[in-house]
Amino acid sequence: MITVNNLKKQYKEAVVLDVESLQIPKGECFGLVGNNGAGKTTLFRIMLDLVRPTQGEVTIEGYQVNQTEEWKKFTGAYLDEHMLLSYLTPDEYFQTLRKIYGMSEADLEVHLEKFTELFNDEIRGKKKYIRDLSKGNLKKVGIAAALLGKPEVVFLDEPFENLDPSSQIRLKKLILKEKEESRITFLISSHDLNHVTEICDRIVLLEKGKIIRDLHEKSEMMRELEAYFMG
Amino acid sequence: MFFELIRLQFLKSLRSTSFAKSLLTNIFLGFIILLLLGYVFGAGLLLNRVIGQLAEGQDSLEVLNSYLIFFFLTEFLYRYFIQSLPVVDLESLLHLPIGKRKIMHMLLIRTFISPINIIALLLFLPFGLEVVATRFGDMAFLGWLGSLVLTSWILHWFMLWFKQRFEDSTVGLLIVMGVLVLGGGSSYMGWFNLGELTKPMFDLAITSPIPLILLFLAFLGSYWLCYRYHLENAYLEDLSPEGETRISGQSIGFFSRFGLSGEMANIEWKLIVRHKKSRTYLMLSAFFLLYGMVFYTQPAYMENERLSFILIFVGVFITGIFMIQYGQLFLSWNSGNFDFYLQKKDGVEQLVRGKYLLFISISVICFLASIPYVYFGWKILLTHAVTFLFNVGILIHVIIYLALWKPKPMDLNKGAMFNYEGVGAAQWLMVIPMMIMPYVFYLPFALLINEYAGLAALGIFGLLGILFYKKLSAINVRRVYENKYEISSSFRQEL
Repeated sequence: MITVNNLKKQYKEAVVLDVESLQIPKGECFGLVGNNGAGKTTLFRIMLDLVRPTQGEVTIEGYQVNQTEEWKKFTGAYLDEHMLLSYLTPDEYFQTLRKIYGMSEADLEVHLEKFTELFNDEIRGKKKYIRDLSKGNLKKVGIAAALLGKPEVVFLDEPFENLDPSSQIRLKKLILKEKEESRITFLISSHDLNHVTEICDRIVLLEKGKIIRDLHEKSEMMRELEAYFMG
Repeated sequence: MFFELIRLQFLKSLRSTSFAKSLLTNIFLGFIILLLLGYVFGAGLLLNRVIGQLAEGQDSLEVLNSYLIFFFLTEFLYRYFIQSLPVVDLESLLHLPIGKRKIMHMLLIRTFISPINIIALLLFLPFGLEVVATRFGDMAFLGWLGSLVLTSWILHWFMLWFKQRFEDSTVGLLIVMGVLVLGGGSSYMGWFNLGELTKPMFDLAITSPIPLILLFLAFLGSYWLCYRYHLENAYLEDLSPEGETRISGQSIGFFSRFGLSGEMANIEWKLIVRHKKSRTYLMLSAFFLLYGMVFYTQPAYMENERLSFILIFVGVFITGIFMIQYGQLFLSWNSGNFDFYLQKKDGVEQLVRGKYLLFISISVICFLASIPYVYFGWKILLTHAVTFLFNVGILIHVIIYLALWKPKPMDLNKGAMFNYEGVGAAQWLMVIPMMIMPYVFYLPFALLINEYAGLAALGIFGLLGILFYKKLSAINVRRVYENKYEISSSFRQEL
């Protein structure tokens, strides 16, 4: 599904990312953890062709990301506010996306139904621009947008950050359900070890741009990670 | 503490990324300001002689005193448009244990250090020395000049209060309009002569210190008013300038015929209507439609049978003002959400095409709106039609091509006046090809055959450009794709 080969990102002398090889099979929930500056966001940005790699390549479903745009049809992502049109209201934003993805009104309604609980009546039907929403609500809009248009791969950067505890639990349920029903491949970076070990089948630990652990065993994950982060 | 705050302010302006990046712009601006102040001072030196010429036989001091009120009315107007509010810096200081009063005093006093505040001094100092001091002595000179400068400074504080109080509201605009009507209209229409009514005050300033003292008290009072108001409103919720609940700008149905790029044009339209800076640009475009009045009423350009060269320029400007103004910051408008377009399939292409669609539509509207100029002769209409074709056929591609040279991020919620965010060397240099381009097509034919051949050439090349629209716009789309990494990483930086 997703392969990363010999990927390197260098700013002048400093190597910020150096991933020799990484395969993510379809339907996997892939967790990415690491301390600040480990290169999580850079890795996601390169995988989404937002940042140019110094060397190496990323392919999604066989499409090399910096050669074609085909993969964008089935890839959703929410990394930060730059991915929102913050001067629209959430409703207008979803409508815009609906047109971009060529969905019908009914499709959109079905999709947004799934978020009713997460939105908690604070997003839809409100006369408020996205830029005026709170950070948590902003994130909810972004996540709903990333999952729109029947994607097969979804990138989420710190999805639990800024969410209140009940929203965090709802989001977790939502991701698990989507994974179950639609076989979406999730790539999630997070600082919250509890959440990420709970939903992810596999966790990769980055340190200074390098993969230093690749954990598949659910029972082992928490212990290994705690051992690492406790230092 | 106070000096620490000033040092922080200094560091802030020194270290802001936009300062370092647009050093050229800043130097240029500084130069322009010096130049303008120089002109003001020059005008001050010549003031006595100019008045002597204009109002022969009358006492120049009497004349000046009776017209001073109009100077201050003008000052009121330009202060309204130029003067910026200090509150933007407040956010990062409010939570610290520094007293709000201290911060406010500092912010207000900082706004006082501005070239605008020495205009009155520069303009009237030479006149005062030349006329008032020689005729009435030094004390009179001090009283007179002091009153003028103080009046100007009162306007400074008053305007800070006024703008904060009525920012972006119709009331404020109405008051400004009212001042305009009162100032210009009343004397012109002969209702009452404002100048004569206020003259005694300035006359009195020469002979007695009372006006100076009164004005000084008013000066302190206006500072106090401004200070109190700002202090009472020093809360974050009051600082956000726009009403949160008002949703403006609806979709324009017409665009939906153009598929996805039409949708992008729609979004772009909302972007324009919902941000302060872009709104100002839009209003300026509407305003520049009147530009023709300046030229077409001048006999010098209109009387002779030949078509003046300058009219081509006017035509280009009137029908293309929006694409020239708004288009020069082409992608910077989307600097806050460029990743959105990058992440969608063909998103960037649709964005660029949507902008094309919007520019062309607005150009059509400008052309249609300019049709009444036919009153000044059908040649004007012809020129407008031809320059319109040229604008949408060729100039649009040139502007966008040039604007794609290292676009910079900018904050759309700041005002447009004297805001040079997003402006780099490209935007300055862009003016040259824009001025020259139409003439490159026009002049050879106009000089070799006649001006109508020149117009025809302009129109035909414009039409050719429209025919090859797909090919030409593809060049710009490709240019965005080639530079997308650089553009998106520069947009992701903090301002």
